[in-house]
Amino acid sequence: MHPETPTWSDFVAAFELFRDPILCGVAAGGVLGLLSVFIVLRRMVFVTATLTQASGLGVALGFFAHIHLDWHIPPTLSALLTALGAAGLISLRAERLRLSRESVLAAVWLLCSAAAVLVGDRITQEAHDIGAILFGTAVLVRPEDLQLVLGVGGLVAVTTILCREGFVFSGFDPDGARVQGLPVRLLELLLVGLITLEVGVTTRALGALPVFGFSVLPGVAALLAAPRLGWALPLAGLFGALSGGLGYLLAFFGMFPVGASQAAVAAGFVVLMIPLRALRGG
Amino acid sequence: MDTTTSSPLVAAEAPILLRCEALEIGYRGRPLLPPITLDVRAGELWAVIGRNGSGKTTLFRAMLGLNPALGGRVQRLAEIAYVAQRMSFDELYPVTVAEVVRQGTVRGWGFLRPWRRASVDEALDAVGATALADRTFRALSEGQKQRVLLARLVASGAKLALLDEPTAAMDAVAEREAMGLLDNLRKRYGLAVVVVSHHLAATQAIADKALFIDPDDQRVVVGPAQEVFHHTSFLARYGDTCPEGTHAP
Repeated sequence: MHPETPTWSDFVAAFELFRDPILCGVAAGGVLGLLSVFIVLRRMVFVTATLTQASGLGVALGFFAHIHLDWHIPPTLSALLTALGAAGLISLRAERLRLSRESVLAAVWLLCSAAAVLVGDRITQEAHDIGAILFGTAVLVRPEDLQLVLGVGGLVAVTTILCREGFVFSGFDPDGARVQGLPVRLLELLLVGLITLEVGVTTRALGALPVFGFSVLPGVAALLAAPRLGWALPLAGLFGALSGGLGYLLAFFGMFPVGASQAAVAAGFVVLMIPLRALRGG
Repeated sequence: MDTTTSSPLVAAEAPILLRCEALEIGYRGRPLLPPITLDVRAGELWAVIGRNGSGKTTLFRAMLGLNPALGGRVQRLAEIAYVAQRMSFDELYPVTVAEVVRQGTVRGWGFLRPWRRASVDEALDAVGATALADRTFRALSEGQKQRVLLARLVASGAKLALLDEPTAAMDAVAEREAMGLLDNLRKRYGLAVVVVSHHLAATQAIADKALFIDPDDQRVVVGPAQEVFHHTSFLARYGDTCPEGTHAP
């Protein structure tokens, strides 16, 4: 073994330091994993990509405002605000502009990506690296960020579980749901709102890449593995939570960036589930 | 519009569940058909006949309030269940048969309440699909799917059901079974049914009333089924399609 490679005893010795970021990754992965089932089923993957990118821009703007303008806007709040702004833009009925939904998504995604890099270029000499914001290279999590991730995550998870049947019915048979008086449009907005909230809060703590990974890959893996939706939801939560925790361990022992490791573990679950699905058929 | 005389098969005093008064449908402000006036009463089975693109689905959507009408009025006087065309269901969702049937019982914000399995089992039993309860909907044959959607309709407790081409993807045997089951259910539960179908023989055998629409000739014919199926406009399009022994006197 390479002498510099961290050992299990190194990890245990410094566990106090790593506990909060692991807990943060597990909580964010679990809740985003739960949401990811609906994100995948409703074909909202690129919506989520855009929201995470907008949140990344928001975090960068928060730091920029603090460093250069002396405005004290918490980066989590600025992330939420930009994510909400992006959600508002992409919730507009694109067909009224004679545009496809995906072209609106692409335009907002590119705008946010370019702006994040430009703003990030002006804060790189400070303590906050744009790489940490977009790719989640930060090893530690601030206590207030953890509290926010746990609090907001709990609220989002409970709401998602309570409304799951409404989300399923209005996605599976939207016309049938409308005829039976379900608030289909409201449920759609609620789902986008829950995703925006969770993505906005977790991007500040973890970075845009792992947040996007948790928002899609656990759902894909769970839908591959589970023969029915009732099993896919808890399984996706489990895959997401495991990706958050195991990804951190992979980063520690492999000396990799944290966010990329978490996203890679989540992708690993997808790869593992493909043969399972092929064997199961259906 | 041609409106034939009322049918002797249906009690005129049966309550009206759906009323269309001079209902106009169309696209971008242009009417597709002449205004349609009809009353759907409890226990009636209506067949809606027309060629592809004639506006049957648009008419259904206006009746259901899913799309605005260009003119006229629709009164929905009972709870309605709707079975959309088969491609309207998103089969990416791995929902079980029991979950699909349960959807029939949900109204408004009812999805927040815990569900009673008993009502689902009763509905599945009514259509002879109990054995399918735990299977995923998307894995079923077209005939089985229709059976399950009829169970959802039963579970809904609705008094009026609108079905848009429920037998579109079925072979002749499955189609006849599905229409027979639909007829049995409406008799058993006193259900009024409005069904769009291209399979004329099966529909004619069970329909009390019919609505024939033809945008090319700007023709709407409404009335007792046997009279509509022998109307000159209908015969000009379809010829004599009535099964033996079902000709109007």
